[in-house]
Amino acid sequence: MKRIIATATLSFTLLGSYTAQADNFSYSEENAFMATIASTPLEQVAPVPSEFDVQQDDLSIRVLPDRKLPPVLSGFDELDFRLAWQDQPAPLMFLIAGTGSGFDTARMDYLKRVFWQAGMHVIVLSSPSNHDFIAAASRSGLPGLGRRDARDLHSAMSMAVEEAQETKGIEITEYHMAGFSLGALNAAFVGELDQQLGQFDFSRIVLLNPPVDLYTSITRLDALPYTRVKGVDGTDSFYEHIFNKLSRYYAQRGSIDVQAGLFADIQASDEALTDAELAMLIGAVFRFAAADLSFMSDVITRGGVYVPVDQQLKVSTSLTPYLRQALFCNFKCYIETQLYPDWQTRNADQSISQMAEETSLRSIDSYLRDNPDIAVVTNADDFILTGEDYQYLVQLFGERAFLYPRGGHGGNLQHKDVVARILSFVEGTPNE
Amino acid sequence: MNKFAAAGVFALLATTGVHAQPDEAPQYRDPLDSLEINREATEYQFERSSLRALKVHDPIEGFNRRVYRFNARFDEYVYLPVVRGYVWATPRFVRTGVSNVFSNLGDVSNLANSIVQRQVHKSMRTTSRLLLNTTLGVLGIFDVAKAMGLPQESEDFGQTLGSYGVPPGPYLIIPFLGPSSLRDGTGRVGDWVIQDEAGFLNNREHMNEHKWTYGLQAVNLRYRTPFRYGALDSPFEYDQVRYLYTKLRELQISQ
Repeated sequence: MKRIIATATLSFTLLGSYTAQADNFSYSEENAFMATIASTPLEQVAPVPSEFDVQQDDLSIRVLPDRKLPPVLSGFDELDFRLAWQDQPAPLMFLIAGTGSGFDTARMDYLKRVFWQAGMHVIVLSSPSNHDFIAAASRSGLPGLGRRDARDLHSAMSMAVEEAQETKGIEITEYHMAGFSLGALNAAFVGELDQQLGQFDFSRIVLLNPPVDLYTSITRLDALPYTRVKGVDGTDSFYEHIFNKLSRYYAQRGSIDVQAGLFADIQASDEALTDAELAMLIGAVFRFAAADLSFMSDVITRGGVYVPVDQQLKVSTSLTPYLRQALFCNFKCYIETQLYPDWQTRNADQSISQMAEETSLRSIDSYLRDNPDIAVVTNADDFILTGEDYQYLVQLFGERAFLYPRGGHGGNLQHKDVVARILSFVEGTPNE
Repeated sequence: MNKFAAAGVFALLATTGVHAQPDEAPQYRDPLDSLEINREATEYQFERSSLRALKVHDPIEGFNRRVYRFNARFDEYVYLPVVRGYVWATPRFVRTGVSNVFSNLGDVSNLANSIVQRQVHKSMRTTSRLLLNTTLGVLGIFDVAKAMGLPQESEDFGQTLGSYGVPPGPYLIIPFLGPSSLRDGTGRVGDWVIQDEAGFLNNREHMNEHKWTYGLQAVNLRYRTPFRYGALDSPFEYDQVRYLYTKLRELQISQ
């Protein structure tokens, strides 16, 4: 008996030490929420040039000439995008931002520099779910359907390329595309659409942390704001709770200096944010994105859900009352109250799950499977995926599934190993 | 001996098992499992917190929103292009030097406010900064004090008023400058007067003689402020900035 226990214990220890080294992935953050917020430690980040050194400019295109916007949204009738370009003929990489993110976020700027440094032109586009895209480039004003969003994106991409060629005279040898999160799902659908249209004929497509099924992923994100946070009860405000922690942290330090590494410092202190608090923060960010989305869609479609149809939104009009209402609407609410009713006008007999099915990677399975030009990058602890989703990606992409044991939702995308692997796939060079 | 051999064999088998499939996918872990997600207990937790964050005293909101829009446009068409020109035309060490000179002058009002707030240690640190940077740092061009472990500790007159219990009053967007409040806007005037009265290094006299230095000060101010209009990616940016500004000031005053 003793022998069995000894044997078992010893082999567990051996196994334990083996698993610790089993992956030689040096990104060490085990906590998926922490990874998502704090991203990659500076010393592990693949080096890229500084923003000042990139030859780049923000350009804009008028995608929908007939769109009329209220004064409060003036300036959003044109779609802005970011172009980084090379002086010689080069491949062009399209980057599509994630849920509720614009083209000018830090994540997109980093990825832009990765591909620009590798000698490509880069065009960065806002997510079709972001307010600027809804206003300027979404024909329906109701993003969230894979194929319809792909058509909007495809038009915007064509016009962006023309604009880039006209104003900067860039010469393009071939096209690539990458998207993050919802942007990755968009990229897959754009790829599928383009295969039929034959316009860009993408050489490589990289899906960074995609959902498999949009509806499943938003249900998981919608659940985060219901996390129980220790110290927040009854009538307490969650934000006050976080600010109080910050305040105590600064009081201990004796001064306020907001600087790089601040977050890591806080996490090393007595006031470190807990798992529940991090999850709640992420959940709150997505809830605000959902509020933006349902408000913007309402304004563009004149749906009358928040803004009365005859109400003129002037520059001086307070939007606060609308935000107060839209705050109550999470992603699922947006789908049920705005997206699905509109879908039903064309598909009277179809259920919400049938609609969701069409915005799932499963619906374009035959395009993605065995396609040597499409790769996926994701993590075993990406919380937008269920275990089933994850397994689906594993078997759908096979050896073109670049899977990492840690990183949460995109927390390791700046890691040198991850960047190297993405680049070698796009450039078609062997890695490792 | 026997059991170690057995253990060895067992471990070997186990590891070979893993080795047999080098490409095996990492094991899925569901981060949501570690959370206590409870809809009943946390009903409206997000809504309650967010609604409260929207309660900021803003009686002249219509005016503020117009000025906010004006500032955003000014930033886009004038201020940022000028700053980009400045970055293009000058090497980094020059910009850092310029920035240091103005922040050294700013330490005069930081010191005055620290003293009035009876923050003895902070006052001493800021005094040391002024002495070190003005002498060793050649009139403030080099921030030697920071290199010696004394970073700048900003204290403005708005904070001083706040520390004596003056409430922020109505939220206010100041043309060209951005978010403020009646108290903090008044505080800005206070800091200006302090600097005027102190006449440290005769800076006002020199600046009045060379009016372009005010322009340089304005460009430097924008150069050092990372905020970008539109960066919050929301049609509700005004509301979010209003809350964040209010909380930031509370945080600064509480220290």
